[in-house]
Amino acid sequence: MKLAVAGKGGAGKTTIAGTLARVMAERGQRVVAIDDDSNPNLALTVGVDTAAAAKFTGIPRDMLEERADAEGNMRLELAVPAEEFIDRFGVAVGDRLTLLVMGGPNHGGSG
Amino acid sequence: MRGVLGGLVAGSSRMTIVDLEAGLEHLSRGTARHVETLFVVGEPYFKSLETASRSFSLAKDLGIANVRMIANKVRSARDEATVREFAGRHNLPIAAVVPYDDAVVAADERGTALIEYQPAAPSVAAIRRLADELLT
Repeated sequence: MKLAVAGKGGAGKTTIAGTLARVMAERGQRVVAIDDDSNPNLALTVGVDTAAAAKFTGIPRDMLEERADAEGNMRLELAVPAEEFIDRFGVAVGDRLTLLVMGGPNHGGSG
Repeated sequence: MRGVLGGLVAGSSRMTIVDLEAGLEHLSRGTARHVETLFVVGEPYFKSLETASRSFSLAKDLGIANVRMIANKVRSARDEATVREFAGRHNLPIAAVVPYDDAVVAADERGTALIEYQPAAPSVAAIRRLADELLT
């Protein structure tokens, strides 16, 4: 199941996304919660302490590669399988939930 | 980074829940293609609902088939009626109505996950009902 949550800042989007991820893990699902917000704070609502969350400073460039898309535009894509990437850069929250932070100002792969 | 997000959503064998950038302007068609269900969170007042309605249009333009609203911070029957009336008029399906909950504010102030701070909070209960509905 591939879900995404959108909403204006302050509407409660992140609280809902994080709590839903925790509930799904409680229900026995293996879940990856991906924070794609440029002001990432999903860590807090899934229950990763802020000190651990502060260590997420981006993804090494060698995990990414530039490829041309269908329109011929170059774009960054994963250089490794998604599961490997999640295992390597995700932070485990209990047994079944992993948090992956994509956004943020220090993102290694941006630009 | 848009190709990376799409690759993760498409390539992971796990359930994926993406907390998106506030607007959908940055969401690429390539990523959107892999999103089965998009939840748009809105609050029960006109401006927020208008914003939610715009997100619905953008999501449809991006080709996301299943877009549903989560009404959040609903304080009263009147709030709920406001949301349902707006949603009905604009043809926006509602996935969940989450009540306004002091536990959300308190957890935030303490820097604690809501579900750990108060696992039986009314807002958490509403999200549990949504999860159960999604899993059946």
